[in-house]
Amino acid sequence: MTNPVSTRTPGRRTGPLTGVRVADFCWMGVGAVATRLLADFGAEVIKIEDRTRVDMPRRLPIYKGQGKALSYGEELSKPDPNMGGLFNNYSRNKLGVTINMRTPEGRELADCLITKSNVVTENFAPGVMERWGLTFARLQQLNPSIIYARMSGYGHTGPHTEYRSYGPVVQAVSGLSHISGLPGREPSGWGLSYMDNLAAYYNSAALLMAILHREETGEGTEIDVSAVEAGISLLGPVILDVNVNKRSTRRGDYPTGNRLEHPHAAPHGVYPCAGTDRWAAIAVLDQSEWDLLVDVLGSPDWANDPMFSDQESRFAHQDELDTHISAWTLTRTPHEVMDVLQARGVRAAAVQTAEDLSEHDPQIAFRGTFFELDHPVIGPALFEGMPMQMSRTAPDNWRSAPLVAEDNDYVFGEILGLSADERGELLDKGVI
Amino acid sequence: MSEQAIDHSHDHSGVSGRTPYEGLRIIEIATEPGGEDVGQMMVLMGADVVKVEPPGGASGRFIGPFVGDEPDPENSLNFWFYNRGKQSIVLDLTTETDRDRLHVLLEGADVVITSTSAVESAALDLRAESLSERHPHLIVASVTAFGLTGPWAEYKASELISLGAGGPLMSCGYDDHSIPPILPGGNQSAHTAAAFGHIGILLALLDRRRTGLGQVVDVSVHEAAAVTCELANPYWFYPRVNVQRQTCRHAQPTPTSPALFQCADGRYVYFALVLADTKPWHSLVSWLGEYGLEADLGDPEFAEVSHRQARFPHIQGVVEVFFLLMDANTAYHEGQARQLPIGILNAPEDLFDDEHLAARQFFVPVDVDGVGPVPFPGAPFRFSAFAAADPGPAPHLDENSLSVLSPNVSAAAPTTGGQ
Repeated sequence: MTNPVSTRTPGRRTGPLTGVRVADFCWMGVGAVATRLLADFGAEVIKIEDRTRVDMPRRLPIYKGQGKALSYGEELSKPDPNMGGLFNNYSRNKLGVTINMRTPEGRELADCLITKSNVVTENFAPGVMERWGLTFARLQQLNPSIIYARMSGYGHTGPHTEYRSYGPVVQAVSGLSHISGLPGREPSGWGLSYMDNLAAYYNSAALLMAILHREETGEGTEIDVSAVEAGISLLGPVILDVNVNKRSTRRGDYPTGNRLEHPHAAPHGVYPCAGTDRWAAIAVLDQSEWDLLVDVLGSPDWANDPMFSDQESRFAHQDELDTHISAWTLTRTPHEVMDVLQARGVRAAAVQTAEDLSEHDPQIAFRGTFFELDHPVIGPALFEGMPMQMSRTAPDNWRSAPLVAEDNDYVFGEILGLSADERGELLDKGVI
Repeated sequence: MSEQAIDHSHDHSGVSGRTPYEGLRIIEIATEPGGEDVGQMMVLMGADVVKVEPPGGASGRFIGPFVGDEPDPENSLNFWFYNRGKQSIVLDLTTETDRDRLHVLLEGADVVITSTSAVESAALDLRAESLSERHPHLIVASVTAFGLTGPWAEYKASELISLGAGGPLMSCGYDDHSIPPILPGGNQSAHTAAAFGHIGILLALLDRRRTGLGQVVDVSVHEAAAVTCELANPYWFYPRVNVQRQTCRHAQPTPTSPALFQCADGRYVYFALVLADTKPWHSLVSWLGEYGLEADLGDPEFAEVSHRQARFPHIQGVVEVFFLLMDANTAYHEGQARQLPIGILNAPEDLFDDEHLAARQFFVPVDVDGVGPVPFPGAPFRFSAFAAADPGPAPHLDENSLSVLSPNVSAAAPTTGGQ
């Protein structure tokens, strides 16, 4: 299935960022997700790629209709860069151009684009933008009120500026991995690049603050967001417990796995359900919730045991309590557990897979969190939308991700004013 | 960038010197961390946040850890973490008198942050749409477990429930699947939703500049978690496969090799062995060689990617031994010096000794009554044009009633910040 050409032609956008043009040098996860937010709300985000080194998510093996599912790290040797699902997810609503920044003409073209833009974004390894001469001082010469967002692992000052990172490294260094796991064994940490998402959200917010600041004052700014620092900001109250109470997180009973220490909650865990590797989470925070739970369970005799008589004694006997709860959950599906407990006001959840979110979650469906867009090569696909609804402002989801160089003519022709002949020459010379 | 360009000092080159939140008045009714964290981020960037607490104090004051492990609503580190630099007033929103006081405050405010569900808000006559209708300039930011609408809107949640229902939990845990998925630490569903709450308010502020109108921003913690599963959703959207959790590394369709290596001092480093790229491979082998521990990895046939890939377990074993013979800090810094993306698994208490964070003055001392200076994480955003604010500690309960609720202040015209 192919989109009609007209729906892929750049046109007037809607949203609070209409009129904002971004020269987007970002790649991989953090940068792409951060600028996606701008594109969603009306900014003209021009994603700049190199034909000989296209963005990594174009090459990761997340394909529709693939016989055998491949893991990250099992890339095909010659992947079609327009097939990549992760790229489609990350770069919807953006325009796509190619510039070979290793050529003087390419760098000159980038300068022209920056002159016509309000915002420049990047998340390369440190030094790459400098190698192309793209310092903040230089960008200000090109465009005095420019906003220059630099998204990195460690930030652009300090002795570890040059350190290499991606999500799992950021999670490790910031402490997020260490505080996650069962006591007495290696951390379980995160099974995803959580910090690719969260650092991206923080970068989106920083960009919006800078845009707001410029609207108020006319002044641009350089932005420096370190993902490690964002990660530390996310540690939560434990960061104060270690410095105010001098409590070590290397003590034997920490981290607490699925159990909750503050406040003492029980039962509080993830319990096995019917099916293979299926689970439900239950959290009982106080006596009234316990009473509701016992009622749903049919007031079994074991619930009258003195060791379960109050919240503190239940907290002290969680192993015994969990055995009883597991026996009850084991004969039910995760969604049965969730529905029957929630119907009575007990905090419970099916531990949902991605399949559940897409196919079986009535809340996601009702709120339209995931939405569909067509793509000329991939076909229709689902996208992760905004987890919020605004009464006056809606995302402008006008197009799936650009094909490689899809918008070269529009951007270099209509925005920069190059003729077809000039563009053809640049193409022949390997500049675009 | 010069070393001074963007830091926590006050040497900023901006002409205005003001932050975009200066003059912005935020009323925070929210008592859940998802809402409180929105206010916290905005305080850090210069907003004036008034926290409206119920009689007796916000629920977060009763959640530990506490200073010295002594339960005390003034000494909850949980409350301190989310409420630095806010002002506190007490209003009993179950009474009409105090709701009237609230409306006076809202008339002079730019943003209100709430965390009650649709039914709970209706019971208090404080529905988000009603607030928006009554105060058209106001941005009503609601951060609730499932959002204000939909079949699960009145379901109850918590951190564990939200990460479970939202999807991230299923990707986290151990290779051994007899162990359930394990909750990552630190209130992350709340923090994820707060990040979107902040973004939503910023979009609404930009819209209000054009229209003069506020709006309702209805953030769902559940959905925020559901769009923060990284590869899990694309693996379902495209090849229609569910990823499988693996110990402290990416959940994937198929099992991958361990990436957590224990070092001589018992600490861990994260290092994903990627064999396909030539440059990091040579860096690794030459590093091993410096310690005489390269085994046969320097043999010419290992220059071939296919040869390396076929011997992955062997290479993994060599690297395991190598890390077991050095301490984690050495592994981290020496590896990074060779441009290998190695991360040390820091414990939170390790961070205060980190030379990089110290050079960036990331932790900022906050003087807390009776405790002294406490290092708090600084603002996670840095701008050359303006500095982050330097907010004080969390407020005592009702500390600011006199100044906030005095007739002069409450009768003031709406602030112009963000307009």
